[in-house]
Amino acid sequence: MDYSLERRVETIIMRVAGRVDESTWVAFGEGLSEAIAQARQHGVSSVTIDLAMLDYMSSRGLRALTVAKREADEADVTITLAAPNEVMREILAISRYDKLFTITDTVEMK
Amino acid sequence: MLVRFWGTRGSLPVAPTADTIRRKVAHALVSANGKRFDNVSDAEAFLDRELSFAAGATYGGSTPCVELEAGDGSYFICDMGSGLRPFGLESMKRNSEGHRKTYNFFQSHLHWDHIMGFPFFAPAFDPTAIIRIHAAHPDAEDALRRQQEEISFPVPFDWLRADIQFVQLTPGEPYEIDGVRVETKHQQHSHVSYGYRFTDADGRTVIYSTDSEHKPAKMEEEAAFIDFFREADLVICDTMYSLAESVSMKEDWGHSSNLVAVDLCHEAGAKCLALFHHEPTYEDEDIQRMHEESIRYEELTRREAPLEVICAYDGLEVRL
Repeated sequence: MDYSLERRVETIIMRVAGRVDESTWVAFGEGLSEAIAQARQHGVSSVTIDLAMLDYMSSRGLRALTVAKREADEADVTITLAAPNEVMREILAISRYDKLFTITDTVEMK
Repeated sequence: MLVRFWGTRGSLPVAPTADTIRRKVAHALVSANGKRFDNVSDAEAFLDRELSFAAGATYGGSTPCVELEAGDGSYFICDMGSGLRPFGLESMKRNSEGHRKTYNFFQSHLHWDHIMGFPFFAPAFDPTAIIRIHAAHPDAEDALRRQQEEISFPVPFDWLRADIQFVQLTPGEPYEIDGVRVETKHQQHSHVSYGYRFTDADGRTVIYSTDSEHKPAKMEEEAAFIDFFREADLVICDTMYSLAESVSMKEDWGHSSNLVAVDLCHEAGAKCLALFHHEPTYEDEDIQRMHEESIRYEELTRREAPLEVICAYDGLEVRL
């Protein structure tokens, strides 16, 4: 799993590639915390997770998202999930995480 | 080893209503589309072939009770939910045919849905029966006596005539019990719960892990569960809620989800997962949908060997 962060005026974009599973969820969680910290530092109220290059995310990754959401809520930062591929769409539906997070088709959509 | 499910529902026993049965029958008649059947067997074969499990049968509604046919001739039973009653009656038939009248119980915990069957356990009235209740809880006897106090039940615990013994287990210690190796493990649940690992003389292993919550803030603790589940032939796991429910509205309710169960089994190299402790508000169609989604999730996240995902129902038998 690799990730990168990009700061835009309206949001911090976290691009994730590979798999988030039992061997990478800790690094994924650290990346999420880093994105939220950047949002706080620069007065940005949004973090957007770009899922387009993600092979899949197991329950570890999904629960890491939950931990991050709690951290983000305390900082008044909203987390949006963007551009899920077909596999991620299915996983988000099966887990019912599409009820917990706003999901957009592209990084640019709000 | 044979695993027989007598009760698979969580929290509260449930039963289908007249409307539910009418809907199933009507659906089956429409599906038959005027077909004639010479006998009941032919009709049942049609049900198996043409209808989904939810449409042609039911997952049942008794609370947890799982029997293991293993070891050297005594009974092995996980939990005393309402499913214990039919098991008790059935066991008495087997006893009349010569089965040994020794019952080894293994309690996950002492909440009502997991002990409510004991006052109706007919063998407890047999003075020649031996009943060993294994639990890591020190207050197992208190819990069983309390539910048979006069305010709650007309038959006091002391009227039971079987030789009833309470055996306290220590988590992490292996025990050899009537030909089966048994280990128990601490789990996150109100008043604590315990999972069990059973291994027979042939090395077949069954895990019974119900009423066990896996919280997002404690994922580092799951390594211990992966080790406990390692290479099991069958893992019976609490899959009561969706992952989203388990981390939001139902957080701290002490239960788990189908996705976590699949992931733990994948990581442990287990061969088969049985979805268990079904939400009492779920209709058969809801449980079937959850089963189908669990199978799909396993396919999407599989890396090496496939994990078979089955859905426990009252009456299911799994031979290992």
